[in-house]
Amino acid sequence: MKKSLILLLTILLTFSAFGRATLYIYSWAGYVPEEIIRDFEKKFNCRVIYDTYASNEEMYAKIKAGKGKGYDVIFPSGDHVSIMIKEGLLQKIDHSKIPNFKYLDKEILNKTTFDPKHEYSVPYMMGATVVVVNKKYVKNYEKSWSIFERKDLKGKMTLLDDMREVLGAALKYLGYSVNTRNLKELEEAKKVVLRWKENILKFDSSSYADGVVTGEYWVVHGYAEDVYQRIPKGEEKNFDFFIPKEGGTLWIDSMVIPKGAANVDLAHKFINFILDPKNAARIADYLGLPSPNVEARKYMKTKPIYSFEDLLKCELIEDLGEFLEVYNRIWQEIIM
Amino acid sequence: MKYTAVYVLWLLVLFLVPLSIVVLFSFLEPRVHGGVLWSFSLRSYSYLPQYLRLIWRSAWIAGVSTILTLVLALPVAFYISKSGHKNFLLLLVVVPFWTNSLIRIYAWRVILGNNGVINQFLNRFGLEPVQFLYNPFAVILVIVYTYLPFAILPLFSSMEKVDESILEAALDLGANKREVFVKVLLPNVKAGLLSAFVFVFIPALGSYAIPDLVGGLNSKMIGNEIARQLLIVKNWPVASAMSNLLIVVSLVGILLIMRREKMK
Repeated sequence: MKKSLILLLTILLTFSAFGRATLYIYSWAGYVPEEIIRDFEKKFNCRVIYDTYASNEEMYAKIKAGKGKGYDVIFPSGDHVSIMIKEGLLQKIDHSKIPNFKYLDKEILNKTTFDPKHEYSVPYMMGATVVVVNKKYVKNYEKSWSIFERKDLKGKMTLLDDMREVLGAALKYLGYSVNTRNLKELEEAKKVVLRWKENILKFDSSSYADGVVTGEYWVVHGYAEDVYQRIPKGEEKNFDFFIPKEGGTLWIDSMVIPKGAANVDLAHKFINFILDPKNAARIADYLGLPSPNVEARKYMKTKPIYSFEDLLKCELIEDLGEFLEVYNRIWQEIIM
Repeated sequence: MKYTAVYVLWLLVLFLVPLSIVVLFSFLEPRVHGGVLWSFSLRSYSYLPQYLRLIWRSAWIAGVSTILTLVLALPVAFYISKSGHKNFLLLLVVVPFWTNSLIRIYAWRVILGNNGVINQFLNRFGLEPVQFLYNPFAVILVIVYTYLPFAILPLFSSMEKVDESILEAALDLGANKREVFVKVLLPNVKAGLLSAFVFVFIPALGSYAIPDLVGGLNSKMIGNEIARQLLIVKNWPVASAMSNLLIVVSLVGILLIMRREKMK
């Protein structure tokens, strides 16, 4: 009922907005707050279409198949930014149109090894992949990856269904780099994951957030903001988000403009609008994450799930090119 | 005649062209970040033997599901074909399709989950929770649930055509009810059984969302691996080769039906 109403409204709006410029955004579900989009539409008298994807891979497959056409702004993570640059799917950002770029934290700008000079990408958000504990069921635990070794939590935990994230976690647990090209280290990490596999219920990227909030799962590996948005009001204290003491994987999602974008000018305006400190503060509040925008931190009303400093012990997942085949083989040996 | 042209165009553009692309890609070399290199290679097919375990698992999950579905569908279809409220009952069979299948799969998680309705009920009586989900049997259960209508409908249509007097004659001539069912009714609805088998087995074999949502560590099926190869590994030729394997299985199924039709 609600859906069909929304559909009707969309159709009505489509007609009423006839003739206005349209910005096509392709991003993660619930990643840019509705109000921000509506404010942007009002300010620039345009219409925004917000399509969503559930994984970088899904986004990449679509953009690659369409040769970069169909969208004006996309929000890929670092490794996929570098893949898209290599595949020639992105166009250069015109920095003269994005004066608000100056507000971005230098420490983060130094971490974007996938596009060091920001020729193609502008950071949107950064964060770490975390472990979320439902404290109603699990009272005592150490903030370490070793939680996945615990036999008493067997069948109550999930790891992401994501090769780089899970192997990255195991590599960090062993004290290695998440981007290692050392076979011996990878074999060790494989043994760790096989041990964890004994204790987890499944590799789950699609329903872990609901799972941990409803108590279906007790300990999950995933993205904090996914879970954070689903926690009912008043139950926040029942959930703990931690970055394991050994460190973990860091992600930086950036805004990029694909080669085939139809509305390049509006795309730049949108990126600049997002970087406006007041808007950036609202976004960070909404997601529960620290803001990469230095100026925005003054305007934030909530305390983020983890602090900016916590992120510094985490390592960015980088594209490994041909070497990924080795990761693929090891992962396949784990899951088959 | 005009309409046939539209139909042919439809099939050509939306079915034959994509299918040819999949077949073509399976014989090419992969590029590192997706896409294909235009050089002929059989390498993607050489990967298939690695997946014997996965193929076997998909086959037995789909096979067991299909048999269970048919066993459940037979009495239902028989009952409907003999009922005075055929249209109403058929409507009831189709009603679940009004809800998106993903939502119906999620509903099973709500019912059978570790923290689901049944386990909360058990908990109230101080019983230990049972882990119903996250194993191959949960996958089978949900496949049976999802595809049951696909088996009921063809079975119904062939049972409706069976002349009631044959069944009465068999009873009069001394057959008991079981014998009437096995020796008279079943042979007469063979065509319906075969279509039902194909309608259930083929989509079950290619299941993707069901094993992903209610399956666990050891219930991934071939559909999940195709998605992984295409999206994560970005090896389009291997994904295509695995899809072709499914296509071949479906083709064999369809040929079987067509041969039967001809024999009649």
